[in-house]
Amino acid sequence: MSSITVNNLSIKFRIYHDRSPSIKDYISSFFKAHQKSGYEDFFAVNNISFEIKQGERVGIVGHNGAGKSSLLKTLCQVYEPSLGSVVVDGRVAPLLEIGAGFHPEFTGRENIYLNGAILGYNKDQLQQLESEIIAFSELEDFIDTPVKYYSTGMYLRLAFSLATAVQPEILILDEMFAGGDAAFIKKATDRMSQIVDQAKIMILVSHDTKKLRTFCNRVIWMDHGQIKEDGEANAVIDHYLQSGKK
Amino acid sequence: MMIKHFNQQLIEVSKFRFVLQQLVRQQLILRYRRTALGYVWTLINPLLMMSVTAVVFSTLFKLELKTYAVFLFAGMIPWNYFNSSIVQSGSAFISNESLIKKIYLPKSLFPLSISLGILIDSVLSFFALLLIILALGGQFSWALLFIPVAFLLLFFFTFGIALVFSIVTVFFRDMQYIVTIAMQALFFLTPVMYNKAMLGGKVAVLVAMNPINPFIEMFRFPLVSGTLPSVWVVTQAILFAAISMVVGFFVFICNEKKIVFRL
Repeated sequence: MSSITVNNLSIKFRIYHDRSPSIKDYISSFFKAHQKSGYEDFFAVNNISFEIKQGERVGIVGHNGAGKSSLLKTLCQVYEPSLGSVVVDGRVAPLLEIGAGFHPEFTGRENIYLNGAILGYNKDQLQQLESEIIAFSELEDFIDTPVKYYSTGMYLRLAFSLATAVQPEILILDEMFAGGDAAFIKKATDRMSQIVDQAKIMILVSHDTKKLRTFCNRVIWMDHGQIKEDGEANAVIDHYLQSGKK
Repeated sequence: MMIKHFNQQLIEVSKFRFVLQQLVRQQLILRYRRTALGYVWTLINPLLMMSVTAVVFSTLFKLELKTYAVFLFAGMIPWNYFNSSIVQSGSAFISNESLIKKIYLPKSLFPLSISLGILIDSVLSFFALLLIILALGGQFSWALLFIPVAFLLLFFFTFGIALVFSIVTVFFRDMQYIVTIAMQALFFLTPVMYNKAMLGGKVAVLVAMNPINPFIEMFRFPLVSGTLPSVWVVTQAILFAAISMVVGFFVFICNEKKIVFRL
């Protein structure tokens, strides 16, 4: 059984008023201990708790800076909770930003292995998946060309095919993605909905409320690092949209 | 407590060993991609550099070129490894910022992949130098079998310090520039180009305190005179390597989780 449990989670950022502190500041601060410090703490996520059970399709809405992305990054283990805890049970597919680990000088094939390793695939898996990934991305002719010569569309096609090659148990998405020409978008959207269907848990952050209504059965509305409302998708989205009109 | 953390790190790294392998591979492949000689540059580059130094300094010190070249090469192998690892470890986290901010990977992979990549380079250029040293009349002896041990101790000594610099650079970016200059100064305080016995006065005291000494000597004894380094030299090396690893690891586990917020 896959599940996600978040308990009294807070994520603290330290905001520096002017710039990154240099050694000079660090040393001089020893001598001026009573001086006002040059930073303040800011809670991107402030004491939130929730639980997600198997089968749930959870959308997260909120204005910019509400803490949505920080929350996702904590679920993916990129950020460590400052306070509280996060327990994730199941294999997570971190699809926050596809193609992030691509190296421009490497060929498409080399990037399948480099980025595949980073995404958590092992060598045998990648050897098995290689031809399928290349076929799906339709890059047979360019797979041994460094990706820096790829067009944006080609780059996205490869990244998408690689990232979605294995069905994850828990799918965490920051905006739905699908790129390339019209035919590829169709293919990518189909694969995306298939993966969403088969995932045991899905979490989707999006500003597109239509998509959230289609894909999610539960929506969490975040505001200034806290949960404003958590419940049935359509109801929460309606309240969220109404608050924006006022 | 440290041992528990150390075991955790080992488990994490072994879980992600395929990523580590890919990162090392990336490092080795990329440097000379699209150059005509490719990876061969890794071998030729230090050879040419050392040859120039050998000619210049054997003339300056009025020493026989062959003897001096063997002496210099044997000291340059550990020094070059130490120098490149420390300087490059400064960018271990900074140059992988986009990755670290988007996906979870054990942070130790980044400095470790740099150290391992440079170790592979170093071992290969050691073999190239060995051929030259033998051709120049260096001794072939069973003492050469000690070299793997020397490399191992050098690796641990360097890795501990590299961990500290990789972390410190994230918090103080100025460190990248300071390290380059400090390493240049340290180079002159390390008996690589000259023999410790040639020095006198205050400088000799400074040089004698340099912790890199035993590592240089562990390479020099087998290569230059065909003898094993003394027990004292090896003991010192083990001690320094252990101190470096403990300090490096301690600094690392204290700061590992803060890195992502400061990139």
